[in-house]
Amino acid sequence: MNKSLKRLVIDTATPYLYIALYEDNVLVDSIYQKGNNDHSVTLMDNIAKMFDKASWKIQDLAAVIVGIGPGSYTGVRIGVVVAKMFAWSHNIPVFKISTPALLASGADNGVIFAYVDARRNQAFGGVFEKTDETLVRLKADTYADLTTMLDSWTYDHPVNAVMPDLNVVLNSELLEAVDNVHDLSPVYLRKTEAERNQEQNK
Amino acid sequence: MIVLAVESSCDETSVSINKDGKVILSNIVLSQIDTHASFGGVVPEIASREHVKGISVVFEQALNQAGITAQDVDLVAVTKGPGLIGSLLVGINAAKAFAFAHNIPIVGVHHIAGHIYANQIESEMKFPLIALVVSGGHTELILMKEHYDFEKLGETQDDAVGEAYDKVARVLGLGYPGGPIIDKLAAEGEATYPMPHIKTEQLYDFSYSGLKSHVINMINRLRMKKEPINEKNLATSFQHAAVRHLIEKSRQAVDDYQAKMLIVAGGVAANKHLRSEVETHFKDVEVSVPPFKYCTDNAAMMGIAGYYYYQRFKKIDAMDMNGYSRLNLSE
Ligand SMILES: [Zn+2]
Repeated sequence: MNKSLKRLVIDTATPYLYIALYEDNVLVDSIYQKGNNDHSVTLMDNIAKMFDKASWKIQDLAAVIVGIGPGSYTGVRIGVVVAKMFAWSHNIPVFKISTPALLASGADNGVIFAYVDARRNQAFGGVFEKTDETLVRLKADTYADLTTMLDSWTYDHPVNAVMPDLNVVLNSELLEAVDNVHDLSPVYLRKTEAERNQEQNK
Repeated sequence: MIVLAVESSCDETSVSINKDGKVILSNIVLSQIDTHASFGGVVPEIASREHVKGISVVFEQALNQAGITAQDVDLVAVTKGPGLIGSLLVGINAAKAFAFAHNIPIVGVHHIAGHIYANQIESEMKFPLIALVVSGGHTELILMKEHYDFEKLGETQDDAVGEAYDKVARVLGLGYPGGPIIDKLAAEGEATYPMPHIKTEQLYDFSYSGLKSHVINMINRLRMKKEPINEKNLATSFQHAAVRHLIEKSRQAVDDYQAKMLIVAGGVAANKHLRSEVETHFKDVEVSVPPFKYCTDNAAMMGIAGYYYYQRFKKIDAMDMNGYSRLNLSE
């Protein structure tokens, strides 16, 4: 095979901006840095710089892989919208994965509690088993009290900030192809406050 | 020059394509109004979620309807503010991703500039002009001496005129949004209820909180006394007072600056009574009110504004462009 497989991975559902460029499963360039509620400013800016540096073009991509949350509502939308527009613009296959799963892919082997901080000591978290080869889910992503999850769930180590590992992700069934790019949307896990209030008042 | 424009500052997801800032090749508007109606107003988080769902479909429809491909686009224009921040960021990041994916320059455009430039679609701006911008969020008088040159003369000191309509409609239990409902009701009534004459400290400023409170207090008083309320007549009385205030201030500005044209812009420009009053009181100047479909939020108007912004400044934005919930027209 002559044509190399170029893959772009994005996640903006956590306080960290994560962008990675992989060519034939080898990491070409990456960013994993704590943001300041400014993924809207930094995501496209950094993608543009990294693509320039690597002399990549969006139309060369074999796949776009995006973390779809659950996590920060505003944050996750930035990455999902960018992935969606890239995929749609050049008809590129797009794949989605849970953000906690993406975090777990970068953790040490074992049973991982991966979570994204939310406000008021709440978090979005799930439990995964990670080996050198792959990642499987043991407990569904949940929105709950962080202390309760940390204290009562069973795991070897918790992670909430770690650079993902695409090679683990690629072998995992948690990575899902998106059949129709127009359907790509974040997973929020929670209805909006307005909807919850409305349901309560019924 | 082909301009593709994106608008997502509130609850409409819209993409439009124009040629040379004049011919609208397509203008797709995906409205969320039904989604928000049961909440009595726009819920920002729901609006943001809906924008993500609809954005790529709206891009696709806009290109298809215009009969062009992305390669034909010379400039991308996107609303950068003011508006709901979560909603703005969806449109801005979609526009940046599209622009980068196709190597097209991008410009961020002020939402109110878009409303004003809606008037350039079917008429030709003549300077100096006065623009009256009226919507759920804005009540402003703006002077333009040339293309893409804005000087704010005055603005509302409290509520926007559209907000006052919404509030009065809500208190009367008429539903949301209030503007079209009251406008329709008012057409069948008479101005029988007394209304205050609105005064402001600055010559070109507006104020709607006094009128709004007056109407709400009156409704409450009548309800307490168990007296019947003639909704049609109340709607007419309120609407006449609200519109008179707009007409008086606009007339003053047109006279003072010897304007050749009066432009009425924004969602409230769709109001029938406002349209007819403007015609009656401004026979000496050219009046431009955009067609109804370009009054409410849409990307067509943003694309026209983007075209003129680019013609005037020849400046483009970078991939670190952000959105702003508040933004001055001169920024
Ligand atoms: Zn508007």
